Amino acid sequence: MNLFVYTIIAGIMYGIFFGLVGMGLNIIFGVLKMINLAHGDFIMLGSFLAYWLYGFLGINPLVAVPIVAAVFFLLGLPLYYAFVPRLIKSKDPEMLSFILFFGLSQVMEALVVFFFGNNQRSIPSTAFGSAGFTIFGQRFPIAWLITCLVALGAFGFVYWYLQHTRMGRATRAVMANRDEALVSGIDVERISALVFCMGLVLASIAGIFSFFVIGASYPSMGAELTTVSFAIIVLGSLGDPLGTILGGLIYGVAVMFMQSYFSSWAEILPYVLLIAVMLFRPEGLVGKAARSA
Amino acid sequence: MFRLKSKFIFLSIAVLVFTAVTSFAAKPPKVITIGTLYASSGSFATSSTSQYRGLKFWVSQVNKEGGVFVKAFNKKIPVKLVAYDDQGQTGTAGMLYNQLITRDRVNMLVADFGSVLTSVAVPLAKVHKVLLFDPTGTAAKFFTPDNQFVVLCSLPTSGQWPYALADFLIQKKIPRIAIIYSSNDFNQSQAVTLHDRLVKAGINPVYYQAVPTSTSNYSVLLHGIEATKPDAVIEFGFVPNDIAFLEGLQSSGLKFKMVFTIFPGQQLQLIQKNVGPKALYYTYTYPTPPLLKYNDVNFGPTLDSFEQAYKETGKKVDFLVVAGYNTGLIIEKTLDAAKSFDQLEFRKALAGFSGKVKTLDGEFKIDASGAQVGEMLPVAQFVPQGADGLDMHIVYPANLKTGNEIYPAP
Repeated sequence: MNLFVYTIIAGIMYGIFFGLVGMGLNIIFGVLKMINLAHGDFIMLGSFLAYWLYGFLGINPLVAVPIVAAVFFLLGLPLYYAFVPRLIKSKDPEMLSFILFFGLSQVMEALVVFFFGNNQRSIPSTAFGSAGFTIFGQRFPIAWLITCLVALGAFGFVYWYLQHTRMGRATRAVMANRDEALVSGIDVERISALVFCMGLVLASIAGIFSFFVIGASYPSMGAELTTVSFAIIVLGSLGDPLGTILGGLIYGVAVMFMQSYFSSWAEILPYVLLIAVMLFRPEGLVGKAARSA
Repeated sequence: MFRLKSKFIFLSIAVLVFTAVTSFAAKPPKVITIGTLYASSGSFATSSTSQYRGLKFWVSQVNKEGGVFVKAFNKKIPVKLVAYDDQGQTGTAGMLYNQLITRDRVNMLVADFGSVLTSVAVPLAKVHKVLLFDPTGTAAKFFTPDNQFVVLCSLPTSGQWPYALADFLIQKKIPRIAIIYSSNDFNQSQAVTLHDRLVKAGINPVYYQAVPTSTSNYSVLLHGIEATKPDAVIEFGFVPNDIAFLEGLQSSGLKFKMVFTIFPGQQLQLIQKNVGPKALYYTYTYPTPPLLKYNDVNFGPTLDSFEQAYKETGKKVDFLVVAGYNTGLIIEKTLDAAKSFDQLEFRKALAGFSGKVKTLDGEFKIDASGAQVGEMLPVAQFVPQGADGLDMHIVYPANLKTGNEIYPAP
């Protein structure tokens, strides 16, 4: 019974983190209708930046959040204006975006290998102290709680931005129909650039806390993270950022149950979920038919 | 008269042909070419580049002395290393091994790190009848009686690794043992050996589970293990698994009387950097050089003098550097012993000095299939030293023992 309770709570916390992992990918897809194949590499890059800040400058991961976020926001702007507008104007933006982001992912991996080498890098969980916390009699590392609180904060920010700000309403309009938003006077280019940067910032924050939930970082981890993120956003709903939270929760709880009771099979879970959703509810668990947009 | 003349001509031609053939066969090469691969990226990069550095260092050392002595030509010949980057991909590795054999026509072939990247070299070496010097590819399936073209230089086949560990657990009469292992040949073969030996001794493991090799979070698994109330937890994985396992154990606050993982004994600096020294306190492992020092070296430098010489590279010695260097030593001994410059003669020479050579990496002894049986892996335990340091004691077997185990862990 203890193991069952532990598995559920651990799964929820794990899922909240994976909601954050998928959020950046989904928000970019929602506005640009492009899959950022370098999403996992942005997470990896965020983790390496946090590792560097912690290892060389002694900056605590929590303090690193605004620094890393600012760096990625500033990185996103030139990246967006260099590539995305041209992609959108091209004949086949979706296919070209696959190629472009795949290339970007390779470049990022190579750069990290160049600067950090191939070794695994990690920030010990004791960075937040060695104390644990207890829920329903189950003890968890304090780093998990902090990770969950940061992820929930990020979800809250996305919700507030989309529902309670003018830019957010404009973003939702672009998500619903890019052309109609354009003719109604919304500065679609500006919104797209902002959301692209926001997607990278969310990925980088997931990267900072990835050490405490998914273990050490290494330069080639990006592809796997992109696959898992894709499974999560399809599960929730493509193009609906808040559906990603549900997708993350289902993924997290399912992984933990698989690990507890059928550990040998845990690896195939994201793919099984992906196939199941595509077969039985292709619009995602909470979604409208965003894919057909 | 005519018959005598033609006999003379025939004899002259025969002598000429014989001289030409023998002089061609005996002509020494200008350099001995050694072909190898390394992975500069991918999950094997850390280990592979270390192993490659060790081999490269051996090449630089022998060339400083004018080359390696080749008995077949009774002279020293310089060594040239031809190395390609397989990026940790078996597909690329297969193509590059083929290139080394067929295009570069290397004299000696050395495999990349580990069983995965060696697996593609074994059949190619067999088909092309080129002897493969295998530093660390320990999968038992590579070594079969019908294949004379592979020889394992550094470690025993993976199924033999836990022999001392199993004996230690049985001798300590530890009744409740949990085994968790990553589902790949290397780890599974160790888990199977340990499980079978324990069962034979009347100890039925209370937990025996495989997990995917990609597992990076052991929190729930550790709680599953804890539910079975084990005295000892044995985790067989690769370096990333060990890091995640130790990190998970540290952050969970769970305590077990004994914890064993493989790679702290081979990649201590890397693991310590990731999890911190406290996560390794009282952990057991298989110690390898430089943590394990053999004093009865009769070929090549001792570990101390090797470490001293290796300082010129500016890098630290780890086990894989030793394994790469040791492969160079085995090649050196082979060329020193082989009567002719021929791949099967090399294999015969290896069998000839098997069991007689002791390097900084331990005894070199192979069986008929080329598998290493000389080196064995003892059991060691890390203990705290000072405020934030680590010391290591070999606790089993008795002839290598440097300290007593602390069991149960405090």
